[in-house]
Amino acid sequence: MDLRKREKEMKRGDIRVAIVRMEGTNCEEEMHRAFQKSGARPEMVHLKELASGRKHLEDYQCLMFPGGFSAGDYVRSGAIFASRLKSTMGGDLTRYVERGYPVGGVCNGFQVLVELGLLPALQGTLAEAPEAALATNDSGRFECRPTYIRHASPCAFTHRIPRGQVRQMPVAHGEGKLSFPPERQPRILDQLEENGQIVFRYTDPRGHPAGYPWNPSGTPGGITGICNPQGNVFGMMPHPERVYDPWTHQDWTRVPRREGDGRAVFESVLTYIEKKF
Amino acid sequence: MLLEVTIRLKKGVADPEGANTLKTLRLLGFSTLQEVKSLKTWRIEVDTRDPGEARRQAEEMCRRLLANPVIQDYEIRTLDGG
Amino acid sequence: MAEGVSPIPLDGLTGPQLEDLGRRLGLGLSAEEMARARDHFARRGHPPTDIELQSIAQAWSEHCCYKSSKALLREFVVGIPAPQVLITGEDAGVVAFDRDHAYVVKMESHNHPSAIEPYGGASTGVGGILRDIACMGAQPIALVDPLFFAPLDLEAPPGVHHPRYILGGVVAGIRDYGNRMGIPTVAGQVTFHPGYLRNPLVNAGCVGIARRREIIHSRARRAGELLVLAGGRTGRDGIHGVTFASRDLAQMEEDRGAVQLGDPITQEPTLHALRECVQRGLLSGLKDLGGGGLSCVVGELALAGRLGARVELEKVPLKEEGMAPWEIWVSESQERFMLTVDPRKLEPVLEVFRAWDVEATVVGQIVPGRDLHITWHGEPIFDLDLEFLTGGPEYCRPWSPRRRENPPMALQEPRDYGRALRDLLASPDICSRETIVRVYDHEVRGATVIKPLPGPPGRTGHGDAAVLKPLDSTWRGLAVAVGGSPHLCEADPYRGARLAVDEVARNLASVGGTPHSLVDCLNLGNPERPEVLGDLREVCRGLGSMARELGLPYVGGNVSLYNESAGTAIPPTPSLLGVGIVPDIRRCVTSDLKQRANPLYLVGETRPRLGASAYARLQDRPGGEVDDPPGPLLKRTLGALLRAQRQGTVASCHDISEGGTACALAEMCIGGDLGATLHVPDTMRSDLWLFSESGSRWLVEAHRTRKSQFTRTMKEVPLTPVGTSGGRLLRIRRGTRTLASEKVEDLRGAWATALPQWTSGNGRKR
Repeated sequence: MDLRKREKEMKRGDIRVAIVRMEGTNCEEEMHRAFQKSGARPEMVHLKELASGRKHLEDYQCLMFPGGFSAGDYVRSGAIFASRLKSTMGGDLTRYVERGYPVGGVCNGFQVLVELGLLPALQGTLAEAPEAALATNDSGRFECRPTYIRHASPCAFTHRIPRGQVRQMPVAHGEGKLSFPPERQPRILDQLEENGQIVFRYTDPRGHPAGYPWNPSGTPGGITGICNPQGNVFGMMPHPERVYDPWTHQDWTRVPRREGDGRAVFESVLTYIEKKF
Repeated sequence: MLLEVTIRLKKGVADPEGANTLKTLRLLGFSTLQEVKSLKTWRIEVDTRDPGEARRQAEEMCRRLLANPVIQDYEIRTLDGG
Repeated sequence: MAEGVSPIPLDGLTGPQLEDLGRRLGLGLSAEEMARARDHFARRGHPPTDIELQSIAQAWSEHCCYKSSKALLREFVVGIPAPQVLITGEDAGVVAFDRDHAYVVKMESHNHPSAIEPYGGASTGVGGILRDIACMGAQPIALVDPLFFAPLDLEAPPGVHHPRYILGGVVAGIRDYGNRMGIPTVAGQVTFHPGYLRNPLVNAGCVGIARRREIIHSRARRAGELLVLAGGRTGRDGIHGVTFASRDLAQMEEDRGAVQLGDPITQEPTLHALRECVQRGLLSGLKDLGGGGLSCVVGELALAGRLGARVELEKVPLKEEGMAPWEIWVSESQERFMLTVDPRKLEPVLEVFRAWDVEATVVGQIVPGRDLHITWHGEPIFDLDLEFLTGGPEYCRPWSPRRRENPPMALQEPRDYGRALRDLLASPDICSRETIVRVYDHEVRGATVIKPLPGPPGRTGHGDAAVLKPLDSTWRGLAVAVGGSPHLCEADPYRGARLAVDEVARNLASVGGTPHSLVDCLNLGNPERPEVLGDLREVCRGLGSMARELGLPYVGGNVSLYNESAGTAIPPTPSLLGVGIVPDIRRCVTSDLKQRANPLYLVGETRPRLGASAYARLQDRPGGEVDDPPGPLLKRTLGALLRAQRQGTVASCHDISEGGTACALAEMCIGGDLGATLHVPDTMRSDLWLFSESGSRWLVEAHRTRKSQFTRTMKEVPLTPVGTSGGRLLRIRRGTRTLASEKVEDLRGAWATALPQWTSGNGRKR
């Protein structure tokens, strides 16, 4: 069945989200919970089940790569996960993305998408070799801290957040500095900006650009979330699933909130799916 | 065939691990220290006697997993001459 | 005799010969213990094999059978009655959380390995405590790590790692194992004392949550069940870990073989697979392999089920070839679990492990009787009665109270109170731990409601306890805190231990948790020295008495002795992990000041007790008295404070401990980025009041609109109005005189920059 021919909106409760895990992914439970609380049908899917054909990509309307330390982050963060995916199902992934299905990655999941070549995807859906890297934080340390991020440009995962709005989300990573080949970096950053591919930038609490610790990794221009040119593949370093609810915010005993700042990411992608499929 | 694959950061890419180690070594009193760079070495054994073939395989490994060309270079050495 | 197995004749050997033989084999048994083994095998009629003797050494080590401490623990610590306790005496304590759920809690030391290889020692400490929780059928949800090091500017003698190196390695080890496993590290402590120079302490604790009906006991249920070894492979790493942990650290280099490295990426999928087996009810018993390896786990699983076991040792998957049977049997390789499985459920169990790419292998079977048989490629190599094997010796060694001089202390009143306050905030035991805390992922799993560093982002202060919301279905939460001061225990082990309980209870109550259970890690020196055993006795007496007065049970614990080398022991160091119940996490309170013009209260009685206090240490003044607060009053105060919090009248709350009231308020100001005015009463000299470390006290910021309700709720307990929040300054006044007036920003500077400077080596010199 070709999902693109549907005329009616898809019901939230019918949306199946595959949360892809392997040894070392470890933020899948809270991501699962976030989709569940938003009314979708998330499912844990082991990389092996996809690779062996026991489960099929096309049964899901959204693919998520959770945070953690896939395969221990040995070699490079996300590299082993990406290389196994690419060798077993690179073609399926390309088709999946080209049909417009949303694919998201958080933290280690973002690193996986970059290593896969699904982000930033400047030359096509899935680059042969990585076009970017998430390099070691300037501090040289793992950093677990709350950050503020400004919504710079909307994509499938963020269109419910007003452009320019600042949200508080925590990070927890040692490698989050978005990097490009040094000689071409300025040009690529301009290109990302022009394409509307820069989704989130770190700021201080008032929304102004700022250095460490507000930008915990030293990533250029504070970039900490990007999408592909079509806007359906998206990766971010901060963890929206950790602030789905108000009471896991750093400062909830000081600042009342009606919902957590991360919830809009899940609501956005689910409404995107409802409308599109 | 035994190979040694060395992965290093490209020129111009920040190396916080190297920089922090440099700082610490200076604090330990190594005052003549000029530079410290981090690099990673893999020792790989492949089942072939053809050095050209071994090298091709190692290149493929670097491309597909061991190195990210955006920030890293690699260097392959054959260890047992053969 | 099978290949690789040799008989060890003991017949006719006497005292020194036995001791010498034990030493050569690395057994760590005394002459009397060796003689006991000799007599047993004489009765059996043929000599022990090396594997039998090695197995006995494991089982009878201090680490496994607590031969020096058991009697004291029984007399003072265990058995405090409390209806919430479901299981104690297994791998971890199990305590009621709500009708359907229990929490599981445990803390252990990993001191000796961390002294030799800080990174590997600390990471395997974390790995081991996670397995202890997982093997009760629970999901681990939080890690804690109390650490004790020598001051970082102390020079290390040859052959001893520099404290800075140890701290760096230990923190990195905890970071890499905890973060990779995806279990948040939510609380801890870092305390400095010169006594830890050769013997740093690494204690690791863990809390888990389980459905009550999924709790698994560490025992086999019936004969015929299969023994399934799951997880990592067995190697030569970590041979003789427990016998090594049970003596002092003289030859560090030679002991390196006893240290293992952790592999979290083997353990992570193993825990997932176990969870799945547990949830599907596929296991009858489960136990992790820790100290003593297979030699302890098989016997304990069988014996706890009043059964025996048969093991085919060649079936154990190995990391390296050529291991002797006894090495396989006592190896302490990490990331391993032993499962007992009904044969009919074997296939589904193996299927689950295959799906996770984790090895699981049948290595033996539970049999009737009480004997343990081992074969090696079909040949018998081991045949022992389990009751003899695990019935280790128990000692009531001589002890003597340590004579302590606690003369009155001559403390100098500071000319500059602002300076004294800044110095205290920058002192090693008080300054900010942010650079350590932030390398641990403290909110993975998305359930950390109260984080270790409360306050607005970028301006955080010092928290008392973390709170987790373990279940989606309820607002109920778990508060987690640690406590224990070696400084106080060195000055007075009994009172110091009482204050450790006091501190943990205070910390839990600060955030809104009703103290509910404790686990203890007792770290001391060589118990064969009467004064060390005297200290242990005083510590046990103190821990027991205060907990009993509060009605707080110990649900698990660990004793780590022989923390001494070159004739110097560590100060007696009881380290506690406490768990509290938060009925509704929405009522949690943090320590950061919230609003200007709110009234501040001191809850509890201030006595001029400054013995071994941070203030006295700053002035380098020994002596003085350690406080001994009455438990019943603490209990009443806890109750009133928790009621006030749950009524919503408390804006912020912080326990008063190191550095006294002045430092507590400074930390509240730093965390709230807000000033305050503190009025010192006329009851005693100002510095004594400001820096006293008498127990059972908190500082509370009440909501100004709820002030009268707050004071009404607190009317039965000591309560003193001491000031107001507001402004950019922390002002300390007595009558009309201003003792100090410090910018909050400057206090933050002193507090926040001390540790980074000190760890990078260009900090303070004393």
